Amino acid sequence: MADQVYQVVSARTASDPAEGFSWRGAWHAPLTQAWLLLGPAMLIYAVFALYPMVDTFVLSFQTWNGLTPHRGFAGLDNYAFIFNDDPVFWLALRNTVIWTFLAVSIPPLIGFGLALAVNQQIPGRNAMRAIFYLPVILAPIAVATMWKWMYDPFFGLFNQLLTSAGLQGLIKDWLGDRQVALYSVFGAYVWQHVGFSMVLFLAGLQGVNQTLVEAARIDGANRYQVFQHVTLPAMSTSITIVLVLSLIQSLKAFDIVYGMTLGGPAQSTQMLALWAFTQSMQIHDFGRGSAVAVVLLLITLAIVVPYMLWRMKREEGQG
Amino acid sequence: MQTFKFVSAAAALASTLGLALPAHAQEVLIWMRTPQASEAKALKQIMTEFEAANPGVTVKLDTRSTDEHKSALRIAATSKGGPDLYYMWTGLGLGGDYVKSGLSAPLDEYYKKYKWADRVRPLADAYSNLYPPGKHGVPYQVNAEALYYNKTLFKKAGIETPPKTYPELMVTVGKLKAAGIPAITFGGSVNWHVMRLMDAILETQCGAKTHDALKAMTVKWTETPCATSAFNEFHKWASDYMLKPFMSFDAAQSRKLFEAGRAAMMLEGDWLAGQLRSETKEAENFGVFAFPTGTGRLYGFGVNLYLNPYSKNKDLSAKFLDYFISDKVQQEHLGAFGALGVNKNVVHKNLDALDATWVEMFPKYNASFVNGDQGFPLDVTTEYFRVINSVAGDTMPPAQAVATMQTFIDKRRQ
Repeated sequence: MADQVYQVVSARTASDPAEGFSWRGAWHAPLTQAWLLLGPAMLIYAVFALYPMVDTFVLSFQTWNGLTPHRGFAGLDNYAFIFNDDPVFWLALRNTVIWTFLAVSIPPLIGFGLALAVNQQIPGRNAMRAIFYLPVILAPIAVATMWKWMYDPFFGLFNQLLTSAGLQGLIKDWLGDRQVALYSVFGAYVWQHVGFSMVLFLAGLQGVNQTLVEAARIDGANRYQVFQHVTLPAMSTSITIVLVLSLIQSLKAFDIVYGMTLGGPAQSTQMLALWAFTQSMQIHDFGRGSAVAVVLLLITLAIVVPYMLWRMKREEGQG
Repeated sequence: MQTFKFVSAAAALASTLGLALPAHAQEVLIWMRTPQASEAKALKQIMTEFEAANPGVTVKLDTRSTDEHKSALRIAATSKGGPDLYYMWTGLGLGGDYVKSGLSAPLDEYYKKYKWADRVRPLADAYSNLYPPGKHGVPYQVNAEALYYNKTLFKKAGIETPPKTYPELMVTVGKLKAAGIPAITFGGSVNWHVMRLMDAILETQCGAKTHDALKAMTVKWTETPCATSAFNEFHKWASDYMLKPFMSFDAAQSRKLFEAGRAAMMLEGDWLAGQLRSETKEAENFGVFAFPTGTGRLYGFGVNLYLNPYSKNKDLSAKFLDYFISDKVQQEHLGAFGALGVNKNVVHKNLDALDATWVEMFPKYNASFVNGDQGFPLDVTTEYFRVINSVAGDTMPPAQAVATMQTFIDKRRQ
């Protein structure tokens, strides 16, 4: 493709412009075609993604209440406030870290187990795949509403089941007790996201070379050894994708927390993404909200970029 | 000749159309949060009648959910656009924010011209005077909150009459507790519901002047002993008298529990009377009395229709406001905008017991104290919620609550 572009450019520059230039040729040039196809997408991306990101970064050094056109310069005040004086920021950061750790470990682990199970030749496996994947296509706010009802302290499913089983001592205010509220919300998150990991792992399992599996078995490898030395290495790309996507999803966790607890009780389930939203859209302090959002972005980049680079190097080394 | 005929005919047609159409088609655009069904019906009728009385005028109503309404107004404000009139709660962090940002046109001139002060209830009018020097907004509705009670549960606990003082209220809740009845229900997940109890206790413990100073942040919470005693009292209510658990459900679920007889009282607005009538078959089993703060002020808030300073139809918008709060309109739609209505000349007829109590209660008060989330700026409100919920949830001692509030207030951006 680069050669073709060079040929078109050479043809235009080598001859007389008046004679050699052809609108038709320029129109059909691969470079023109590429820009034409990419242009609309890049324009939309620039307007709706890049510009807001840059503006959020700029806003994090300003004061703005969203009402007046005037934005004041705040320097590093917004960052100083959220790090030193904001009573919720560190709690939200702590919750985000706990949530992220759980989200990159538990749903992928369960998803991997389910993928291995529904990859076997068992009756009804397609139906089971669909059932396990079903929660992924539900709107998070619908999942939040459903689980909120199941957690209801008076009429909810869980407390009813515990009562029926004679385990009244285990009954809790699942979303109202700050000791367990975050983990209760996480339970709903796991239910919704396990299917996502499962499908990606299932795709990875389909790609495992059966010839290698059979060769390993002929060589006397047991099931665990086949899994460790054949299946897992073949799944490394899938594992990377699942972990990176789980990480990104968990760091920006917002809707399910908003739907189930609004960050309460007493901000005990507050997360960085939700706190950025609360500061900007509810308290209308767009400067501080943007500062929280920038911190969240930097944390995400600080984790995802080195991991991606490490995986790429490792895969190149293996290749 | 043919040309002359054609031009003449065209001119005649144009002049006929010109006569048929109004010289200046004008529109009054109103933005508000999504109204309830009865309110929407009343508004539609009022707008239609105003249009009929003012040929060439169109009144358009755009409604959104509460949060979307607030966001849309902020977006419009930055572009100096938006509606002619907008609905907004009058509190400091809401209507106050708009007034202070220059997004409300003072209405003193129109108040004089139409003599609005002569027909607006003093309680409602007070909300237009919150941000001097000008008068801002015309009252759309005035709401109050009081203690609803379940007559059967009161009787079961041996309580004959509703309490009239705070010590009597404490005796009442004590009797309910002794009878094994949760005294009061709140929905903790929405923050502002439990806040109502703290507001009422602050008013009771500190008195009107100090309570206002605390909310205005002109005195220090740490140097005001009644603030600590109020948090202590609030903690006692949360520990001993509230239906538990309460932190994970909202105000609507709390109402359902109250209607089902799971708690004896609920601190709720005048709008609950209508909900009790429609959601229960025994509304007469419920009564209502003002929280006995002893300060002579009623707990409540106001909602105004504010005039956008960028409106191109200010005079016409004021004319619509005048029509909206007229004796005729307010009498005809009494109850559609709250139990009381903002016009003091209306006559209430055929009221049931709950509405009758409200109608008797309102005129007894010429002053009110507003909900905490309307009295504070938004950032302080958020911290107030966190502190209250922490005290209620036993994770912050009452003594630490005042220190936490004051620390936040001291460090906030001025």
